[in-house]
Amino acid sequence: MNKPENRVDQIVSDLLHGRRLKLRGGDAEEKAAITAAARLVAARQGTQRMNPAFRKRLEQALESAPKEPWMTRRAALVAGFGLAAGAVTGGLLGRAMEPAATALRPSGGDPINPVPGKWVDVAAISDLVEGQGKHVTAGSVGAFLFRRGDSVTGVSSICSHLPCELWWNGGQGLLACPCHPATFTPEGRSTDKTYPLPALSTVQVRVTPAGRVEVLGTD
Amino acid sequence: MSAGHPPGEQESAPDETDDVLQLPMAPRATDIALGELEIVYAFIYARVGNRADAEDLTQQVALKAIPRLREGAPASAIRGYLFATARSVLGGFWSTRLGLSEAELHEDLALAAPPAPPSEERADTVQRILAELSGNYRRVLELRFLHGYSLKEVAAEMHSTVGAVKVMQLRALRAAAKVKVE
Repeated sequence: MNKPENRVDQIVSDLLHGRRLKLRGGDAEEKAAITAAARLVAARQGTQRMNPAFRKRLEQALESAPKEPWMTRRAALVAGFGLAAGAVTGGLLGRAMEPAATALRPSGGDPINPVPGKWVDVAAISDLVEGQGKHVTAGSVGAFLFRRGDSVTGVSSICSHLPCELWWNGGQGLLACPCHPATFTPEGRSTDKTYPLPALSTVQVRVTPAGRVEVLGTD
Repeated sequence: MSAGHPPGEQESAPDETDDVLQLPMAPRATDIALGELEIVYAFIYARVGNRADAEDLTQQVALKAIPRLREGAPASAIRGYLFATARSVLGGFWSTRLGLSEAELHEDLALAAPPAPPSEERADTVQRILAELSGNYRRVLELRFLHGYSLKEVAAEMHSTVGAVKVMQLRALRAAAKVKVE
């Protein structure tokens, strides 16, 4: 399967079936053939228009932009958004975010430490069902909480690739990004083994003796 | 690589004030921006050949463009900026996926921009590329890409073997990559 003709045919087959380009480092030898295949597949289909659902998402992004005039460094940190700058895409998105996020360069899975932070009561531990994610907000910090016995963990609710709010797919037991095909485990790890995304930021959670769940967030 | 300054963008454009996109966006201005992004999407799709990657990359372009849209740049500058950004994003995409530096990518990939917007790209691009290839190369790509034949079907059609067709497909694609389409 390592012969170039086999490898390129696999890529051609993926493209002909509408699948995403899944390339490896060794594919660089055949970059010309691969890009030619991508262009031929696209040309065969003619000029493409955006899917209505995708267009709607872009429209929402454009219309919401004035309400949140680009992200301040602090807001980006709080939202875990800066993870995008260090995405496994080799800084691809980081370039796209310049100059707002260039100073961030965080590593995946880092905890969110809002400054000044504030412990915010978000739920009773009895509200959390084992095996199910619960979305909460603590000021500017959005998070999904997961209960295991008497302990609770949390991860940022913002995708580490695109700045989109994740949702809990209870059927799969995964956090899913609405903006692109990306999912994360409750621990925040990317499920894509071929192109794993950075882990979601963790949020700091504590359970009080009274059984209340608090998240370190902001006012 | 940076999108840098879009071609045609000037320090100021006092005579183009009627042709300005400005955020906060009125619904009409949003439509204009979406219209531009629609063209960007087609541009990107034409180079990656699949919807999922095209959507991801278009979204990245949009995110980068939002501050520029807010600044109220002339529409012509916005289009130039969007396409410069799209080329930058595509360059990053290929370099990341192939494990190459962008310098190694060279200008033969997505970084070479067409002079015209993609909506004006001719629909017969495939035929024009194929017309430049020799008989067997043209045939294998026609069957595979235009008619959607499987390798087995192509082999049967060409009285060949699957293995030989795979090799021929690879060589045909390498040849197709060298065809310059105006």
